[in-house]
Amino acid sequence: MSDANLMSTVRPAGDVAVVLRAAVGAPFTRRALRELLFCLIGVGFGVGVLVVPYVFFGLGALIGWATVGRDQPAGPVGPGFLVGFTTAPVLLVILATPVGRGLGAVHRRIAAALLGETVPPPAPLRLRGGPLARIRAVLGDGAGWRAVAYSLLKLPMAVPAGYGVFCWLAGLVNLTYPFWWPLFRNHPPQVRLDPVAVVTPFGAFPVATFAGTFAAFAAGAGMVVAAPWIARGASILDRALMRGLLGPGRLAQRVHDLEQTRAQAVDDSAALLRRLERDLHDGAQMRLAALAMNLGRVKEQLGADGDPADLAKARELVDAAHRNAKDALAELRDLARGIHPPVLDNGLADALATLAAGSAIPVRLTTDIAVRPSPAIETIAYFSAAELLTNAAKHSHATTVTVHAGQHHSVLRLCVTDDGVGGADPGRGSGLAGLATRVRTVDGHLYLDSPPGGPTRITVELPMRA
Amino acid sequence: MRVVIAEDATLMREGLVGLLQDRGHQVCAAVADAQALLTAVAQHHPDVAVVDIRMPPTHTDEGLRAALLLRRQHPRTGILVLSQYIETKYATQLLAGQAAGVGYLLKDRVADVADFVEALTRVAAGGTALDPEVVGQLLGGHRHGRGLAELTPREREVLALMAEGRSNTGIAAALTITGGVVEKHVANIFAKLGLPQTEGDNRRVLAVLRYLKSANT
Repeated sequence: MSDANLMSTVRPAGDVAVVLRAAVGAPFTRRALRELLFCLIGVGFGVGVLVVPYVFFGLGALIGWATVGRDQPAGPVGPGFLVGFTTAPVLLVILATPVGRGLGAVHRRIAAALLGETVPPPAPLRLRGGPLARIRAVLGDGAGWRAVAYSLLKLPMAVPAGYGVFCWLAGLVNLTYPFWWPLFRNHPPQVRLDPVAVVTPFGAFPVATFAGTFAAFAAGAGMVVAAPWIARGASILDRALMRGLLGPGRLAQRVHDLEQTRAQAVDDSAALLRRLERDLHDGAQMRLAALAMNLGRVKEQLGADGDPADLAKARELVDAAHRNAKDALAELRDLARGIHPPVLDNGLADALATLAAGSAIPVRLTTDIAVRPSPAIETIAYFSAAELLTNAAKHSHATTVTVHAGQHHSVLRLCVTDDGVGGADPGRGSGLAGLATRVRTVDGHLYLDSPPGGPTRITVELPMRA
Repeated sequence: MRVVIAEDATLMREGLVGLLQDRGHQVCAAVADAQALLTAVAQHHPDVAVVDIRMPPTHTDEGLRAALLLRRQHPRTGILVLSQYIETKYATQLLAGQAAGVGYLLKDRVADVADFVEALTRVAAGGTALDPEVVGQLLGGHRHGRGLAELTPREREVLALMAEGRSNTGIAAALTITGGVVEKHVANIFAKLGLPQTEGDNRRVLAVLRYLKSANT
């Protein structure tokens, strides 16, 4: 609160100073320097790409020369040249995707180190079978070809990157003009020296006098200030390319996600069944066994005919049996409701209302669901709400909880907000991580906003149809 | 009869203690996990131990493992294993080698107090008590077995009771027939299954089970 007040009392003049300081300081921030370094490496790589064909043709020629032999008389078009001429493109094509992948890995690492951009690597290429099958796999490696495309695109990308690097380096040089001019140009007035060229992005201009060096300084200052923005633009473009071309690819990523969520869903349901069995075994089943045992003992006490030997004992056993029966009923009811709350058949709104009524903390519930989502989605939404309410009651120390369930086009949004202490952490076993996993199995999302001190706001977004 | 009970559910444990004490048996110890069971048996040397299969910490088969250990360490203590499910595999593990002083019953059987205490007494005395469910599973597995197919329904009933560990007198009581009739049935069963006549209830059980298992595989 105090920070916000301070900010609002800063006068406009202060804002200008802040902007100025940011502009002047920008070229020398760590981030700007890293981006410039990234651009510099990009330029180096772009130039390297130009050289590749020559290297390959040279290599091809070398192979041809070595295999055909040096003793052959060299004609105008020697056999060595022919072999090289055909070998080189073949080599180029076969080696393209492995080399592309290797370079892609290097690029990803550079981007991670300098830009903090972490692009997940594509799935590794599996090579099986004979040499022909392997070559076919290499040639059909989509991720590899995308990586090759990225490497080739580095060539045009070197232009904006180079611009940024050039502006920064040349700008720094231009800034120095006024400082060294008096040292080297202290000649007598009648001596005429050639003017010195000042390089700018818009061409060079000559400087012949000390006064002129200030123009160079001004140009340099402009270039140095502009350089980080150019570098940033270039690296943003590069990052976008990288995400598109060096990542696993949209389809592969989707497959990967689905595989993961499917595995989680399977594990989840297996764990659910296990828990159910455990609950039955330790709960209702055990109580019914105890009930049967108590009734058996009562039967013994009562005997086949005549008066029971110990009526008080028999009463006590009947009491226990009665209690066991009631407890078993309660456990079975809870268990059945835990599997599928019957009220959910009337729709999510009714089910949430029942849930809210039973909550330990007062709940304000609003619902706005015009179309009923599919049953699976309703169930997930219901259990999400139940879990979030339980969490709020357990951890938040909140006095009220607001639950809103609304439908926005094809998305069902469940929003649970409490006025508690905040600081909810999915890593601390609050069930949030498991909830996020379950939500993800239907392509839903869980958003958590819980600053220390509160309030906690958790939004679950689900598709209307699973 | 001196008994040690290992059962993690308090309700069941206390019920078992009460049930046995009502009938004048001495419960030396009633514990809730396998480790405490081993200690209690080593300390009290009871006639029989009643062991729940699923106990803490993993709630899988620690009771069974403890039972197998007790069979080796204290062969004179009978072991009656209780469970809410019957696993034929557990039964075979328990019966491996010999069927003396071992029992495996569903927890449901405790409800028929007289039968349960009778089974427990049998196990304590070195006899056998197998749940009808175990026998049923083994019998059901090969309805079309060569020898079994030749048995009459009555003989099948006698075979099942025999496999549970009952003596001829017990079988006669269960089926309300005379001992002489039972003996005739048993002789017929042994003849049809090609089993050698043996003395003693346990060997009868083992013989029957071995036949059933070999027919099963």
